[in-house]
Amino acid sequence: MGVDRQLLRSKLDRMATALSASAHLGRIGALFSETVLIDVEGAEFYLAFEKGRLVSIAEGPSLKTPWRFGLRVKHDALRKFWEEVPRPGYHDIFGLVKYGHARIDGDILVLVKNLRFFKEFMAFGRVGEVP
Amino acid sequence: MNAAVEPILGRYLTLKVGDLTHRIYFEEAGAGRPVVLLHTAGADTRQWRFILNDREFTASRRFIAFDMPWHGKSFPPQGFETVEYLLTTEAYLQTVLAFCDALALEKPLLVGCSMGGRIALQLAALEAERFCGFIAIEASDFQPAWYDIDWFDRPDAHGGAMGAALVSANIAPQAPDTERWNTLWMFMQSGPGVFRGDLSFYTRDDSLIGRLSRIDTRKTPVHVMCGEYDLTCTPQDALRTARAIPGATIAVMTELGHFPMSEHPEAFRPHFVDALSRMPG
Repeated sequence: MGVDRQLLRSKLDRMATALSASAHLGRIGALFSETVLIDVEGAEFYLAFEKGRLVSIAEGPSLKTPWRFGLRVKHDALRKFWEEVPRPGYHDIFGLVKYGHARIDGDILVLVKNLRFFKEFMAFGRVGEVP
Repeated sequence: MNAAVEPILGRYLTLKVGDLTHRIYFEEAGAGRPVVLLHTAGADTRQWRFILNDREFTASRRFIAFDMPWHGKSFPPQGFETVEYLLTTEAYLQTVLAFCDALALEKPLLVGCSMGGRIALQLAALEAERFCGFIAIEASDFQPAWYDIDWFDRPDAHGGAMGAALVSANIAPQAPDTERWNTLWMFMQSGPGVFRGDLSFYTRDDSLIGRLSRIDTRKTPVHVMCGEYDLTCTPQDALRTARAIPGATIAVMTELGHFPMSEHPEAFRPHFVDALSRMPG
């Protein structure tokens, strides 16, 4: 199944809304103001976070948008990651990386310093339709 | 009345290991054949709270869990403020043996999880006559790090919070939220550099690989257990390890991760009943 950019975009928009409604992630992410690349088999999304809120999503491809770290993930793996109860190995972004379904590029230390925040943001995708 | 006093008793003992004197905290419950419980890296005895509180288990066995030096309520040794904590196999072996000697435990059953499981297998290879059997949970011969252990001891970040966020990758999605977060809280509380120092032992010392074939399960049974959601010690890692120990048994546990007794005690319980049934009574 090919990547449906529109469905992915609407999923990310819903995740942004969920993040805005999360008081504790607003607190935990208060120092997180970075752009993150999500790359799903060439479908690029540049997520601009500002103080723990996702303020804009720009669609790529783009060679001129700087980003701090990127998650490049296979479409099928992301679908499985977003299942309500993910299977072993698909339950965590580092599981995706460990089993070769994804890679993390860029400044991984920034990700690790904000790991709980970013993981919980990504987990918002487990609610609703899986694109 | 809403209060409920648990049957767990906590005490301290002073333990000399090599040149170092440690004030060790331990908890126990039950009576009968002693069972020594070893916690994972970056955590403490609280991981065993449901075992120690289970009256069916403690009716016939005496369960004892202790905080390794630097962990939980055990202080680091004198002068720690200028020391880089790096756990070694030798220090870990000697600490477990010294603890068993201090309590005059006669041939206890040894149960360890993660790095505790690793050292249990080391003891199965090197000091088997001191124990009656070994249950190695989320344990394997060796794992190189798939992360940078230096992430967890930095002056510009909270190592405990980062460690908790990392190890959350090892908890199964079926774990109830309360116990998931209680499990992670121990990592959040871990002292600076302690998780890193434990991981140094866990991810750099591969000496167990060449020792597994020495283990004689006819004298001391070995049972390996592994949760299917464990990313650190995967079922493949545990299977490889169990196959290298002639006569060892293994259980791969569904809907569980790297901290099964702590993250989801209800799901872990039947597996632990089975494991105990394989050991001398």
